[in-house]
Amino acid sequence: MSLERDEHLSSIESIQSGLESLNYISNLQIATAVFLAYRLDKPVLIEGPPGVGKTELAKSVANMLELECIRLQCYEGLDESKAIYEWKYGKQLLYTQVLKETLGEILEGATGLTESVAKLHEFGDVFFSEEFLEPRPLLKALKEEKGCVLLIDEVDKSDHEFESLLLEMLSDYQLSIPEIGTIKANPKRKPLVFLTSNNTREISDALKRRCLHLYIPFPDADLESQIVHARVPEVPAELRRQLVTFIQELRTLDLKKVPAISETIDWAKTLILLHTESLDADMVKQTLNVILKFQEDIETVEGEVQMLTNKALKAQ
Amino acid sequence: MEKTLVDFVKVLRTAEVKVSPAETLDAMTALKVVGYEDRVLFKNTLSMLLSKNPEEKETFESCFEKFFTFDDVMPANEDATSDSEPDDQFEDERSDSNASGQPGGKGSGQGGGQGNASGESTEEDDQDMPSPTSALGQLLLQGSRSDLMIKMAEAGRAVEVNQIVVFTQKGLYTRKIMDQMGLKALQDEITELQNDTGAGERRLAGKLKRARDQLRDQVRDYVEKQFFLHADEHGKQLREELLKKVKLSNLEKRNFKDVQEIVFKMAKKLVSIHSKRRKTYKRGHLDLRKTLRKNMQYDGVFFDLKWKAVKVDRPKVMCICDVSGSVSNYSRFLLMFLYSLAEIIPKVRSFAFSSDLGEVTQLFRNSNLEDAMAKTMRDYGNGSTDYGQMLLDFRRTCMDDVDNKTTIIILGDARNNYGDPKAEIVREMYEKAKRVIWLNPEPRSNWQVGDAEMKKYAPNCHQTEVCNSLTHLERVVSNLLKFTA
Repeated sequence: MSLERDEHLSSIESIQSGLESLNYISNLQIATAVFLAYRLDKPVLIEGPPGVGKTELAKSVANMLELECIRLQCYEGLDESKAIYEWKYGKQLLYTQVLKETLGEILEGATGLTESVAKLHEFGDVFFSEEFLEPRPLLKALKEEKGCVLLIDEVDKSDHEFESLLLEMLSDYQLSIPEIGTIKANPKRKPLVFLTSNNTREISDALKRRCLHLYIPFPDADLESQIVHARVPEVPAELRRQLVTFIQELRTLDLKKVPAISETIDWAKTLILLHTESLDADMVKQTLNVILKFQEDIETVEGEVQMLTNKALKAQ
Repeated sequence: MEKTLVDFVKVLRTAEVKVSPAETLDAMTALKVVGYEDRVLFKNTLSMLLSKNPEEKETFESCFEKFFTFDDVMPANEDATSDSEPDDQFEDERSDSNASGQPGGKGSGQGGGQGNASGESTEEDDQDMPSPTSALGQLLLQGSRSDLMIKMAEAGRAVEVNQIVVFTQKGLYTRKIMDQMGLKALQDEITELQNDTGAGERRLAGKLKRARDQLRDQVRDYVEKQFFLHADEHGKQLREELLKKVKLSNLEKRNFKDVQEIVFKMAKKLVSIHSKRRKTYKRGHLDLRKTLRKNMQYDGVFFDLKWKAVKVDRPKVMCICDVSGSVSNYSRFLLMFLYSLAEIIPKVRSFAFSSDLGEVTQLFRNSNLEDAMAKTMRDYGNGSTDYGQMLLDFRRTCMDDVDNKTTIIILGDARNNYGDPKAEIVREMYEKAKRVIWLNPEPRSNWQVGDAEMKKYAPNCHQTEVCNSLTHLERVVSNLLKFTA
């Protein structure tokens, strides 16, 4: 198991080919980031426009290494009780009840308050112990003996406080629980951490400092064509080239939301379903809503469809 | 290499990529893993560790290309240096003089061109040409171009070319680097050879001379690049520092663009500092865990409830700006500042007046600053200042909207042309609003001279400040955020 993991991560090329076999086409930067993350034990902060495969990368890496991918989806209001751990209150309450009933037995023979308290101390304190601990994603990731891939998704959606909560985890791979102490990850198999951000707000410098920073931009035509090929192999080469060219052209327009890779893939699937052999303006118009998600964008593009389609057809 | 990396980090910092020492250390560890051989890998690694947002990545890109600029050497020579080096030595041993053809033979772009031509035609004669004795001469004629570049970089470091500040220093540094590389010995040798009678010596002298002139061009080029790398940003910083302190009314129009940039930068800083302010709010989900722990001390009886939801408290700001001639520039920048802060203070209402008060909130929100400012000036800018009228207008139109969360900022010199100051309205504001801040661009000593009414207004404000430069503005806004949040 461990050998296998190291093998996959031994060089940048092996990472690239490993990911490719899982239909994730990476570029050199992406592979380098994964490589460094593993060699330096550093988390990777992935930024980029939505739909370029940030989350997918973490999942693919987990898949490649055959490790569990523990995912923590961030949102406003996320706090430690949902991210790190929570006490099992019900059981704790029951425990106190039980304790109350057996109190007489424990204190048997004790005279005076001091002695009773001493006796109580002797009695092990399990109220705050791992027995009553409900681990949440972060803690779970640390406790995973075989190592795992921890995906902290859309970290920019969480609150500032939560970011500071992550710092200990990210720099030292440990978490402190006040009642119990510090829990550390298996030093030989630290979790591989990926954070993704959509840049809705600036991530704090403290967090950034601890991470490798990977920016995934929109892919160029070649890479995108490869990705479409990997994801939707049914698309004939000619159509693939056309639709990739079309999308690439579309990205140069002034749009509210430019189509990402995921939209390209969706579109490719749509075109296959419609048995399209080659792009034509009408077909494009009908399926525009797959790649553009705002009515005003669709209206802007509709006028240009003929021109764009011609361009895409000519590009062969 | 570590020194080079540190230098590079320094360059990045001057280019406003924030690189912490810890990140530099990380980069060093990372480089131990990936090595220096593969340029692309090297660059990707550094980019990942040192630049942490898209803008920084862009800056990083250009800095990297400028800093590690062996492009005129590398592409042509990369293979040549690695695999012809041993070969090089062989030849040197075999026939010293033959080596003079080598710089050209290695196909170095600019430098070796003519050396090559002459080298080949005189191949036979070279046999009787002596080899140069000075270190630099040997390097010029025999060493590879990358050796030369390395030597140049070393010399550059020795004379601290990265300290270059203004472009007039270019000549000085070129000279210094040449000296450091051993120009003097070379010169002496050339003179000596020229005085010699032997044909071989003469030819060598000519060759050395040509090589020296080429070298000078290269060094000049190198210094130029260093200048762009180090001084350009440095100069910009100096200018910014200066602009921050200069009186806003003295700013010239051509500086406005720079100032605007600075304002945005300052605003961004303030946003990142203050956007974190939140306070717990008594509503929403019950925080069972906190409640349990808190109430443990009361024997588990729940009477101190804790709530989960937090509420972000955004300040409400009303900003009243005097836009009459003397103060308009200050108002411009205050408004610029406030609107750059839209992210953390979304509820800014702004008013402009010289005599009559008018709300310009929508104007500033919808059009860009220049247009909005121009329109404001046109609509409200003329007429003599009348603070009394302004205050009356304010009371009539929006005193009702003032509540205990509102901060009112008044920017003006309080010169009322001897009219009725109506200070009681300011008093009313004082009682209703959370804070009333008066910003006055004039120095404190002038606050009571002539028709200035600060004496009557000041006691009715929570805070009065002199405010006539960007630094002042920043301080005021920062304070504002601290108190209101």
